[in-house]
Amino acid sequence: MTDPAHDRLPRLLVTGVGVWTPGFPSAPAWIAGEADPEVVRASGRILDRMNRRRASALGRALVDAAAEAMEAGGVDPATVPTVVGSALGEVETMIGLLDQMWRRHEPASPAAFTMSVHNAASGLLSISTKNRGFTTSIAADDDTPAAALFEAIGLAHASGGPVVVTCGDGEVPGAFVAEAERFGLLAVALALAPDDGRTNGCARIVGPSRGGTPHVPTDLPRALATHPQVGLLDLADAVLRGREGRVRLDRGRGAGWCVDVVPLEDG
Amino acid sequence: MTTPTTRPLPITGYACLNALGGTREEILSALREGRTGLRPPDEPLAFETAVGAVGAPLPELEGALAPWSTRLARMAAALIVPLDAPLRRARERWRAERIGVILGTSTAGAETTERAFKDAVAHGTLPTDYDFRRQHTFGAVLHVVEALAGVRGPAWMISTACTSSAKPFASARRLIDAGVLDAAIVGGFDTLCAMTLTGFHALGALDARPCRPFASDRRGISIGEGGALALVERDGEGRVLVEGVGETSDAYHISAPHPEGAGALAAMEAALREAGRAPAEVDHVNAHGTGTTLNDRAEAGAIATLLGREVPVVSTKGFTGHTLGAAGAIEVAFSAYAIEEGWIPPSLHADPLDPEIPLNVRTETTAGRFRRVLSNSFAFGGNNVSVLLRAP
Repeated sequence: MTDPAHDRLPRLLVTGVGVWTPGFPSAPAWIAGEADPEVVRASGRILDRMNRRRASALGRALVDAAAEAMEAGGVDPATVPTVVGSALGEVETMIGLLDQMWRRHEPASPAAFTMSVHNAASGLLSISTKNRGFTTSIAADDDTPAAALFEAIGLAHASGGPVVVTCGDGEVPGAFVAEAERFGLLAVALALAPDDGRTNGCARIVGPSRGGTPHVPTDLPRALATHPQVGLLDLADAVLRGREGRVRLDRGRGAGWCVDVVPLEDG
Repeated sequence: MTTPTTRPLPITGYACLNALGGTREEILSALREGRTGLRPPDEPLAFETAVGAVGAPLPELEGALAPWSTRLARMAAALIVPLDAPLRRARERWRAERIGVILGTSTAGAETTERAFKDAVAHGTLPTDYDFRRQHTFGAVLHVVEALAGVRGPAWMISTACTSSAKPFASARRLIDAGVLDAAIVGGFDTLCAMTLTGFHALGALDARPCRPFASDRRGISIGEGGALALVERDGEGRVLVEGVGETSDAYHISAPHPEGAGALAAMEAALREAGRAPAEVDHVNAHGTGTTLNDRAEAGAIATLLGREVPVVSTKGFTGHTLGAAGAIEVAFSAYAIEEGWIPPSLHADPLDPEIPLNVRTETTAGRFRRVLSNSFAFGGNNVSVLLRAP
């Protein structure tokens, strides 16, 4: 890269990847490409029993993906700052509450109300891992993956340590989006570290920045093609396959943020 | 004083909107006179409560922005207007691509979606002018703020329940320090809706009367709405400065605070550590002070442990109600008022104080030289934020 502006862009190392979507409960399963029809529900394996019961399908997928990335990256779940991204958060729980109140005329469920907040998954993750440090929960429609990476850049710069980014969204109840816009459940996580010359990673990512020509993204199942977090899946896929090039983080549906992926041999 | 970990971040402009009014003068007048904005709700509910509804006129969104017009987006539009001059200066100083938008909301478009849902129950389909992607999503209002402010940097919404609009001050500070941004519009907003009121009622957290944080007879919270926006810049003449922000988690319970306020204490300590300041240098605390028995007691213990029992403490939620995702930014604005105006409002209806609250809770307007103010915000998920502001 000879562009001086490119040299000034932030850069991070990817040290671990996590994926959860129906049929593919891990990053190796995703790369293997054979969907397991028995995988329909994330386990939420790092949650204690009570919080696993509380967690939504999205919440369990997010914590499973985060746990996989943390293990792969060798980071301490009890101290690592976490960024959870979701365009719609716990929308299914929220619509369920509205249905309870206005269609069924029942009293609102206090448990459902508590779990309807966008940061339910980040809260459950911090409780389960006994992490008393930083966590946040963010949204930016189809630019959520880029926003999560920007948060990670700030955190890695401030702390000099690792950060785990996890983005996911679940299905939206049918009446609210057009048929062509519907998508399934997906969660993707990256364990990231500052590119400080001391940490080993499987890839370096440079950016986000706008412009340039991204490489052609992976073919995806129909249920993921319009997913708000598909850009993070494209990035994770490029890292896992050791593919060099520019990855668009919004599949053309957002502000155009991209990152450059450079595979590292010692990762 | 120890060594700060970052430079103070100037707030070069800020604006606030809540049940007390839509202008600085209206809000200051109500705060000084001890006039609450809490009233019975306009729309009847199955239970008694008081709410802090915004009565100020909100601009319509027109032309290309019309499809995004929700109460939340119109609040955002109202808050951009007073920032016009500092934003114009910032755009001349920094490229629009280097000015970010980092905001917070907990409800997003829930108020609009709830109305649309009720309509669908009554008529069988969602209203034709309802647009989920432009009116419900957490990111929808970002488009409105970017368009009205004329900025093109990275933009996102933080949604960590009641700390949502306090956290953007920290995110912006980190990205300016990292060289990614030169300036950012930070803050946030939330709107009232029946679902939120009913949810807090179901939790047994709502007071039937206007809330009375720290009072011996407090019975819970009152919900409000509103917002605040601030422009923070890499350097420049700040009206006030963000000197430190602490962000922690309780890792204890999804909706109950840690009983000893451990996470709250850690957040305040982190804010002071970032600023390189000693506890004795804090002149005033704008407490989270929601009015629930557990929250107020836990926070009071944390404040007393770190800052002692003499520092003047106020909860302003008796004026505005708990504005949820907007509370962080609104109370940062109230903390800035304390620094700029040289007085703090009373903690409304806190008298008689709970004897188990070991704090100097001010129950009348108090004049003073408030050079350094901590503003606390705590949330579901055990999320804690403490913002330390100081005079220039």
